Amino acid sequence: MKASRFILTVLLSTSLSSGAMAADVVKIAITGPFSGGSAPMGLSMRDGAKLAISQINKNGGITVGGTKMKIEIIERDDEGKNDRGALVAQEISSMGDISAVIGTVNTGVAIMGDKYYVEKGIVKIITPAAGSASMTQWSKAGTKDLPIFRFAAHDGIQAQMVVEQAIRLGLKKVAILHDATNYGVSGRDDLIEQIKKQGGKLKVVAIEKFAIGDKDMTGQLIKAKVSGAQAILIWGIGPELAAVAAGKEKLGFKVPMIGGWTLSMSNFIDTAGAAGNGALMPQTFIEDESIQRARPFILAYRKAYGVAKIPSPVSAAQGYDATLLLAEAIHEAGSTRPAQIKAALENLKVTVKGTIADWKKPWSKWDPQNVETHEAFRRANTVMGKVQNSRVVLANPSDKALLEGKKAR
Amino acid sequence: MNAEFLALAQMAVGGGLMGMAYALVAYGFQLTYTAGKAVNFGQGELVMLGAFIGLSLTGIGLPYWAAVPGAMVAGAALGWFVERSAVRLALQQRNEGWILLTIIVGLFGVSAAENIWGRDDKPFPAPWPEGTLEFFGISVTWPELIIAAGALGIMTLVELAKRYTMPGIAVQAVSADPDSAELCGIRSKSAISLSWAVSGAAAAFAGTIIAPVTTVGPTMAAALTLKAFSVAVVAGLDSGFGLVLAGIALGSAENLSGFLLGSGWREAPGLILLILALALRPQGVFGKKIIRKV
Amino acid sequence: MRIRFNLGLREKTAERIIRLTLFSCLAALPMLWHGEYALGLLTLMAVYGVLLIGLDATVGYLGQINLAQAALFGLGAYGAALAIQAEVPLPLALLVGIAAALIPGAALTLPALRLEGPQFALSTLSFATLTVIFLNESESITNGALGLSIIRPSLFNIVLDSTRFYWFCLMILFITWWASQLLLRSRFGLAIEALRDSPTATDALGIGALRHKALAFAWGSALAGLAGALHAINFGYLQPAAFGYDLMVILLLGVVFGGRRNQWGAFAGAAVVTMLPNLLSNRTLFSLLVTLGCLLAIASPIRTLLSRTRPSFRQTAPVAAMATALALALFASNVEEWRKGIFALFLFAAVVGLPDGIAGAVTAILRKLIHFSPDPLPVATGGMQPVKSFAGLALHASNLQKSFGGVKAVDNVTLKIGKGETHGLIGPNGSGKTTLVNLISGLYKSDSGSVEIFGVRPIPGSLMSAFSAGSARTFQNLQSFTGLTALESIMVCQQDGGISEAMGWLHTVGLEPKARLLCSEMSYGDLRFLEIARALATRPYVLMLDEPAAGMSKPDIIRLVDLVTSIKRAGITILLIEHHQDVVAELCDRVSVMDGGRLIAQGTPDQVRRDPKVIEAYLGSDDTTTQANNDSGAQPC
Repeated sequence: MKASRFILTVLLSTSLSSGAMAADVVKIAITGPFSGGSAPMGLSMRDGAKLAISQINKNGGITVGGTKMKIEIIERDDEGKNDRGALVAQEISSMGDISAVIGTVNTGVAIMGDKYYVEKGIVKIITPAAGSASMTQWSKAGTKDLPIFRFAAHDGIQAQMVVEQAIRLGLKKVAILHDATNYGVSGRDDLIEQIKKQGGKLKVVAIEKFAIGDKDMTGQLIKAKVSGAQAILIWGIGPELAAVAAGKEKLGFKVPMIGGWTLSMSNFIDTAGAAGNGALMPQTFIEDESIQRARPFILAYRKAYGVAKIPSPVSAAQGYDATLLLAEAIHEAGSTRPAQIKAALENLKVTVKGTIADWKKPWSKWDPQNVETHEAFRRANTVMGKVQNSRVVLANPSDKALLEGKKAR
Repeated sequence: MNAEFLALAQMAVGGGLMGMAYALVAYGFQLTYTAGKAVNFGQGELVMLGAFIGLSLTGIGLPYWAAVPGAMVAGAALGWFVERSAVRLALQQRNEGWILLTIIVGLFGVSAAENIWGRDDKPFPAPWPEGTLEFFGISVTWPELIIAAGALGIMTLVELAKRYTMPGIAVQAVSADPDSAELCGIRSKSAISLSWAVSGAAAAFAGTIIAPVTTVGPTMAAALTLKAFSVAVVAGLDSGFGLVLAGIALGSAENLSGFLLGSGWREAPGLILLILALALRPQGVFGKKIIRKV
Repeated sequence: MRIRFNLGLREKTAERIIRLTLFSCLAALPMLWHGEYALGLLTLMAVYGVLLIGLDATVGYLGQINLAQAALFGLGAYGAALAIQAEVPLPLALLVGIAAALIPGAALTLPALRLEGPQFALSTLSFATLTVIFLNESESITNGALGLSIIRPSLFNIVLDSTRFYWFCLMILFITWWASQLLLRSRFGLAIEALRDSPTATDALGIGALRHKALAFAWGSALAGLAGALHAINFGYLQPAAFGYDLMVILLLGVVFGGRRNQWGAFAGAAVVTMLPNLLSNRTLFSLLVTLGCLLAIASPIRTLLSRTRPSFRQTAPVAAMATALALALFASNVEEWRKGIFALFLFAAVVGLPDGIAGAVTAILRKLIHFSPDPLPVATGGMQPVKSFAGLALHASNLQKSFGGVKAVDNVTLKIGKGETHGLIGPNGSGKTTLVNLISGLYKSDSGSVEIFGVRPIPGSLMSAFSAGSARTFQNLQSFTGLTALESIMVCQQDGGISEAMGWLHTVGLEPKARLLCSEMSYGDLRFLEIARALATRPYVLMLDEPAAGMSKPDIIRLVDLVTSIKRAGITILLIEHHQDVVAELCDRVSVMDGGRLIAQGTPDQVRRDPKVIEAYLGSDDTTTQANNDSGAQPC
């Protein structure tokens, strides 16, 4: 019985779908890798965004020009593959009724796909992809009018903080380890640039890379150890980071690991176990219920998706806050048209209370000379986190005030 | 100089021990190839599913010692299922459909694992002692040693069973000549099914002893299948224990070249050697020469 | 009663009409319907079409699993992208792309040529992995993992917007399709297919294995490079990781899914590979597809059940797969996340249920529905002609030795056969007759001793070399080209002459009416005659027939004797292995007898029949065997 009803529903919905275009919804697309290696980030981001949307819809939706409009979600899995990402972008940009897009984890996908949004002027908020190139490609091309915004602490900021931290720890010689993907290689370049920028106080004694899927990192680590590195600056994602931690343990190579925000991913922390303790990374968000601002979101996420720990808390929180900001922009624009939403995002009037911070005018009018105009995060909104007993805690407890929003961001 | 040499030795030993894992998975290829001239291109997925099933069994409170045979039984069932669903028909019709069908069944396995156990890599608890052992300054961990010992153990066990038990001898007869074996009253279909089941059990066993080192996740197998396939073909698909040597050689070569040429190039020299080895000895380094009969 | 339309069309013409219609429709599409996304998909489909037609050359025609195509595609893409960065005009950039794939692809053929099956697959796989490593690590050239961005160039000052670029790709697909068809239906293409079916026979008949394998691979590589160049221009951004094993598996599935050995199949595969993942991401369409798939899968076993027979695995397995897919679509709480699994189930159902792919299934249906006029048969000309005569011995094997392990299969055999002689080779099973012929024809390399054919010493162990010296042979176990028709089997062996000469050879062996039959559809006896015709078509001076009458019916044996007599009359020297005593007695001028690898007797058929050593070999060593016994009927053979 159920099957026949299903078939009927399918047939009906296909025949009616063209006629049933409701004018009272806002359509938002969420894209990212929902399968494959970077899925934990993509899924957490998606679920964070969907949590915000379900909360908004529960309150009746967004008020757009006087009428309440619910948000409808279009989900697309880009599998973390560039050409698939480009097709997804083509598909979404040609749908014609999409107001905005949130997502993208892999920088390569952003590079290959975002041009289709730019052509059509569709608003996109990139989160949590952090690779510098996804924004600098537009400043290099000198694009005048850009509907792409980023809501993530980009690698430039992160590399800056990592290098600062290493200098603060009084280190002289460091090894750089990175994965062989776009993310890892551009992270390596950012680190080298930052070391130069900050006065060349660190000497890079080894640069080693590893491939996605590598489990044995002893070769790279022995080289770092032999060359006398006092810390490992690392750019990679969860599973390989855990393999590095395990390799260090095996070789008795007890130096700190400092790296990108991905060191906070559960697939690093859980897998590395005790070997992961002490790893340092920049964070925009920490899954700590004792932080009052973050508490409601953390509890709501865990309840909604039945998990004890968020797989990638940073992605989830950024997805959540980005959605809130987008909803506010649609409200202020009083329209579901991308051009108006873009203008509103560039000049948000109301401060949005997010789970990461109070967002007061995070973006401004695009200036090709200055990518910061479309970057929401600054050095000052980002703190250093540390892995301790399978949790991420603040490396510097005094930063708690910053996350609570008591200190100016 | 001494430190440099020690580092090289450490790399070679570490690589060799990982090479044993390749050999163990490669052994699964060899088992099915000798019986029915087909291999499972989803063998790595069986390794992954075996590891996940083992993980779930420890999750419900079984000790590791009980979880391993449990996973092997499940692996045998899966191996049998792959043979039945993806290989038998293609072999009967003497076409190469099995290559794609085994890949497809593997794809489904990955999707099922993603949905049942999640997409994240998980640590696999094992009762091995913590810490590392040192031999002449070379450090080795217990789980690595267990992989080597386990690989040799299971291969010895299966090879003995092939020689001294009736089903084993029957499988050998079928691999030599299926038609003559049928005439002697051996059901070649059952013999082939049996070898696939044993191959599945070996894969699941591999999963449960490799996972404590590598962690377990839906994508853990992708690289492993290709490496193991290389080992199996270079050694020769009928080479018996020749695989162990090939596995150790490949693992060490990878590690050493990664160390000497830069980690990005770690696989390159091994691959070039592999192409050359095949060009010189198509039947594999330890394989028997193929005689064309007309 | 099924209605069968007769349009009075030949199949070839019909195919051409449909193809032209298809391309016109595809070209007209952007004018009727504006959609950036649809255009993007169609462009991708055209690019993949070129790529898969290339892959089909190795996977379909050559019958080898080639896992390097994705990497060659990547090399082409990078080559073209770098050329475009150097501001080379577009047509030249395409050529650079082709060269970038063709040259390494050709280099790979050197070690990979002698390999088959899993070994071939592995060597191409290793090459593919090496390529990705190279692209990733050569950061100064390719920009490594950061990726290479290019701006789409214009074509002779025409700005290529998305519509024009689509037309450009479509045109290239059309040309590729046409050229592939031309190449693969030529003698070269037939040789590639013959090679797939029996590499031994192609060597023994002088068709040659290596150059055809190399050609098939080179053609596939060139198309991969061309497709790669288009891909680079299409997306404008390249990263090495995109050309790895994942893409390769998808391409392989595309070819098999669409249908092998068929440009239509490659095209259908490209359409499925591009469209299906995108269709599956749309929930509604996806559910519709699953339902449709389920209904289609269930139709065939129901028909079988209605006729009260048990459906085969081929019919039930797709139903099981589609039912699982439907169950997932109905009951799984997170259908989106099962998408890949459902995709796998679809593929499984299709690969099992449609062994010849979509193209094969559609062709079969069309052939049932429409009656095509058969291609007219050409008039037979040529046939047996007297061969040039040389001086000296036709065949001289001296002191040949060959052992396998400890067994001496051929032990110090010397054999001299005069010009124009028909020489019989007899002996009990396992006496080494076939091994001797294998040594003479170059299939095996002798341990010692030498062979001379009309004074030429071929390289030991080389079938081709023995063929060049003027020999040709047939095989005890049939080595037919199952994928070719009888006529094509002859054409591929001919050194000169065209289709009517090929008909002439078929006429010689009495297979003229079966010219258009596939070898896989022919009877055993017919295939034996076809093997002789194939050997004759190479115009040999020495013909070796290995048990031609084995398994033949009485009337066929009479035909065979007539045929061999006419061959003999044309002056061709014949070495005949045969068990039928009457055949040997009737045809052979002289007979050699082998036992246990040694030559035990030689002489006229009559002399040999009376030789006590021969009788002993056939009847066992029994002292009581007498002349009388022998005369009373126990005859060798």
